[in-house]
Amino acid sequence: MMASRFALLAFLALLAGCKREEREARLAPPIAEAQGAVLVMPNGISGRPHDVIAAQGDAFRNNAYQLSQGKRLFEWFNCQGCHADGGGASGPALMNGWWRYGPDPVSIFLSIRDGRPNGMPPYRDKLTTEQIWQLTGYLQTLGASTASLASTSRNDAMHSRPAENRAPAQAGHTTRPSP
Amino acid sequence: MTRPPEDRDLRDTALDTGQEPDALERRLARIWRTPPGLVNALSTVDHKIIGRRYIVTAFVFLALGGVLAMLMRLQLAQPESRFLSPDLYNQVFTIHGANMMFLFAVPVMEAMAIYFVPLLVGTRNIAFPRLGAFSYWVYLFGGSMLWIAFILQMGPDVGWFAYVPLAGPQYSSGKRADIWAQMITFTEISALAVAIEIVVTVLKQRAPGMSLDRIPLVVWAWLVMAFMIIMAMPAVVTASSMLILDRLVGTHFFNPAEGGDVLLWQHLFWFFGHPEVYIIFLPAVGMISTMLPAFVRRPIFGYLPLVMALLTMGLLSFGLWVHHMFTTGLPRLGESFFTASSMAIAVPAGVQIFCWLATIWLGRPAFRVPFLFILAFFFTFVLGGMTGVMVASVPLDTQVHDTYFVVAHFHYVLVGGAVFPLLGAIYYWFPKITGRMMSERIGRWVAGLLFLGFNFTFFPMHILGLQGMTRRIYAYPAEMGWGGMNLFVSLCSVAMAAGFLLFFIDIFRSARHGEPAGDNPWEASTLEWATSSPPPPYNFVRIPVVTSASPLWDEKGSLPVVSGLAVNRRELLITGMGNATPEVRETSPQNSIWPFFAAIATSVMLVASIFTPWAVVWGAIPLTITLIGWFWPRGTPEDDS
Repeated sequence: MMASRFALLAFLALLAGCKREEREARLAPPIAEAQGAVLVMPNGISGRPHDVIAAQGDAFRNNAYQLSQGKRLFEWFNCQGCHADGGGASGPALMNGWWRYGPDPVSIFLSIRDGRPNGMPPYRDKLTTEQIWQLTGYLQTLGASTASLASTSRNDAMHSRPAENRAPAQAGHTTRPSP
Repeated sequence: MTRPPEDRDLRDTALDTGQEPDALERRLARIWRTPPGLVNALSTVDHKIIGRRYIVTAFVFLALGGVLAMLMRLQLAQPESRFLSPDLYNQVFTIHGANMMFLFAVPVMEAMAIYFVPLLVGTRNIAFPRLGAFSYWVYLFGGSMLWIAFILQMGPDVGWFAYVPLAGPQYSSGKRADIWAQMITFTEISALAVAIEIVVTVLKQRAPGMSLDRIPLVVWAWLVMAFMIIMAMPAVVTASSMLILDRLVGTHFFNPAEGGDVLLWQHLFWFFGHPEVYIIFLPAVGMISTMLPAFVRRPIFGYLPLVMALLTMGLLSFGLWVHHMFTTGLPRLGESFFTASSMAIAVPAGVQIFCWLATIWLGRPAFRVPFLFILAFFFTFVLGGMTGVMVASVPLDTQVHDTYFVVAHFHYVLVGGAVFPLLGAIYYWFPKITGRMMSERIGRWVAGLLFLGFNFTFFPMHILGLQGMTRRIYAYPAEMGWGGMNLFVSLCSVAMAAGFLLFFIDIFRSARHGEPAGDNPWEASTLEWATSSPPPPYNFVRIPVVTSASPLWDEKGSLPVVSGLAVNRRELLITGMGNATPEVRETSPQNSIWPFFAAIATSVMLVASIFTPWAVVWGAIPLTITLIGWFWPRGTPEDDS
């Protein structure tokens, strides 16, 4: 009896927590390489990620550790310099749901990797493919209207907006994008 | 419902007609028993059944934590080992520590109290027994949550004291730290519930005549422990709730940039954490004070100094938490004060040691297994106490902080100071719980293996720490030169593991095939040995009257007893706090399934609140329903009287 109840509990917890917390310190080289093999539309916008991303359970969106790494990279590589805390400054805002090159992960991935006209520099020589994906995943939680359970929490710093797990982050901002 | 008037208040005196010799026993058994069946098993409020479950569960957690310890020793046995990944190692040492402290050491001391306090003070059941049932289920669910999370790779990985900012929202992603914080909440709730029960049972339910100077020393220790739980635990509940709020809702308790304070965590945690060490330690020394007379055949030497030592240690332990924080940059005066107070606690500890030595000196020792564990305790604990005085001094602590020296120190005081006495107590009281003796022969092997295995495992860690090996590292380069000693430590830990394995084998074997024990196999002097082994559901046919501190020795054969208690409902005797003069007959609650439901509602609410703050709002509804069910009057004789 006790055992079966535990089994049920364990199963429910499994459903909730499946793969959200896995961490791998060092990616196997073939997987790392495959992550970079993105099929891109000719105009450089949108495309299809390699199957390995889905095979890993879309970890860059669902895994808490990957998202937190993305958040850390956002700070370390001074994304705030142009995009502020996501509200946008000299660069566009990242949390109002308006993406110049489309909201899909591949477009965001390409923007970071290859850069975009009018100021966005390419990061392919500064970040590994895995790190670019981590950043991509994190950026998507910035503009999310509802937080996922894996979303990152606040930083130990001054705050200009609610943290990603308190989405929508733009609740405190009234500026709308000008189409 | 109308009953004939004599049935409404049938006293045991009315059954003294002599026609049926065991009429009283049969009536009491019918009133107090736990009927067979699953629902009844979940509803029982018998302190012996709940206590037994509590003890068994705690020892299961001990075994699980031991497995983790062996995994760590396997990893550290050689340099640059790749047996465990760094991430898994972080979870393993965190869960080993949290499990041993929060799911084994503290609960097992409470568990022993739940089982033995009512027997030792001579009453029929613990006070608020439904709270005890609730406490057990909350503890079980909280412990299961931690281990299920570990299986799901959601195990906490921030160390057993989860310092911020590492455990805070920025540096600890996912729900791992929240699992730790909520596991704390579970164990706090269950501990507070038990503490209230112990305080009330000891102060108001003692057998008539058991004045304050006749209380068995282990009961004194449990009383001090219970007060310490009540005063210490709220600090850590506050801290862990703040941590969860910081992580989930984005409050700023520990965020210096927004006016919070990182060190606040360490203060709150250690204000609880240091007393916690004594919450574990005091019952253990109480057990020694109570067991010792049975093995040296004389009453304990220095009853009054021993009680004063317990009270002093309980009090002092609240004034030295900052010695865990010597390296955080304290003002000089703070360092000096907490060094002094930390060293001062060696005084009452020393008083105890000398009282025990005097007791042994003046007695005729019988070297049975529990006594061997007491001797193992002396040697090991005194060594741990010595290193304790060493790390209480700031310059030395600054040098060895967070090294294996500290790991060795706290294992010496916790295993030496608490686990050895506890294992002795298990050997001592096992016959009372099961009615069968544990094996003397295997017991000697267990004591020997554990004593030697422990010392050879942990003593070299002092040296490793002085050589600079920091705690919690998952691997070390061969050039450090720690490989040989680590291999030695790992090999010796196998001996210790073998000792524990043998202990568990002995438990299983003896529970079925042990020699029948009889009521008082050690010819001990305290009240629990006055009843049968295992005790009947009502503990004592008639509540005994106590005339001395060693009732079974001073009243050869026939204890004076109380008569006049009702036998048609659960009833026990309330006595005065000081002199235990009888005050009033009081009913004791019947079995109820509601504490189990309330524990489920509490657990669901606490687990869900890891994921959303709304769980507290919606979870309050089922919790309220279960509490209404719990307290709803049912027209039982207990409710009516």
